[in-house]
Amino acid sequence: MRATKATRRALAGAAIAAFLTGMLAPAAADAQGRSPPDLTGSWERHRAPPGDPTNPPPEASPPLKPALLAEWQVRRAAAQAADARGEPIATGYTHCLPDGVPSMMSGPFPFEILQGATQLNITQEAYNQTRRIYFGRPQVTLDDIELGFYGHSVGEWQGDTLVVDTIGIKDYIRFRDAPHSPDMRITERFRLVTPDVLWDEITIEDPEVLEKPWTVTFAYRRMPDYSILEYVCEDNREYADENGIGRLRVTKPE
Amino acid sequence: MSQYLRRIAAVLLLLVVPLAAWAHHSFAIFDHSRTITLKGTVLSFQWTNPHGYLELDVAEGPEGIDHFTVELTSINMLRRAGWKSSDVHDGDEVTAVIAPLLNGEHGGLLLELKVPDGRTLVPPVPAITSFKRTP
Repeated sequence: MRATKATRRALAGAAIAAFLTGMLAPAAADAQGRSPPDLTGSWERHRAPPGDPTNPPPEASPPLKPALLAEWQVRRAAAQAADARGEPIATGYTHCLPDGVPSMMSGPFPFEILQGATQLNITQEAYNQTRRIYFGRPQVTLDDIELGFYGHSVGEWQGDTLVVDTIGIKDYIRFRDAPHSPDMRITERFRLVTPDVLWDEITIEDPEVLEKPWTVTFAYRRMPDYSILEYVCEDNREYADENGIGRLRVTKPE
Repeated sequence: MSQYLRRIAAVLLLLVVPLAAWAHHSFAIFDHSRTITLKGTVLSFQWTNPHGYLELDVAEGPEGIDHFTVELTSINMLRRAGWKSSDVHDGDEVTAVIAPLLNGEHGGLLLELKVPDGRTLVPPVPAITSFKRTP
């Protein structure tokens, strides 16, 4: 039977409605009838006065294997010396490249969480970056995906903690300039430490380059009245010169 | 500025850099040891990312500068700090306090802007106090 145009439109509308209902429905209750906390909304980095218990532990340097750590320290020192000379070494940001997972969780721009029953999206305001975390699906293997900025993330609620597993991050998408192998695995544990302060405990495992798992925790505060703004690199006047130094293009408009 | 002062400024910058080392944007290309003040006419006020820009035809300022490109922060940061794209209009007479580019080109980072309605607008530059104000 050939569906009429109206029938097709109605079916398409119903399919979209069903998808949105599934995506946006509140997360299902667990076996004990408890619903997970609702993280939907805007968030920004939270930095309370020193000693405040909502501050996470201080950030640790990457526990790289000795040879890699030595190289990392040399690069850090070179970057600091270049900054002191007023000739900063160009980075991905110079070219308006988004920073990917997990750097996009470090701020300084706010992000938005949109939490549903089957999926949770995190949109970082800077560069309009969105990562998607799927619930109720097994993690894929590297054979199933291509490496990228955000990888492939699956999540599950363990009580009040959202545990997210991410693989598939591209080689040069680096957190704190630490090298990693294609097999890097990132486990994040999101939990509310107060009703309006969220922690993301990020643990990076990569035995090929790290001596031991590397954990960094970021804290965020809720921004109840803030709607995420768009961010498009509409006119990037920064560039890397022939020596890899970040510069600013200065020209008088015609 | 003497070599001595420049060296002290470089050392001070080295001390603040570790805090800002992972920032989106390096402010190291701008002089942290002095500011210049330019009075002039706005040729254009560009409300864009990754940075806003003010193109200024200079009437009063250091000798030899007739046009200057003024970089602002990301417009998202400006908006969160209360700025609007309508705060500055083409043709406005403004006074800008600027951390100039270290390489001597006619560009710099906006630290303060006096607009015709009398307001002094301050952009949300991270670690803005690390830029030393000079007459």
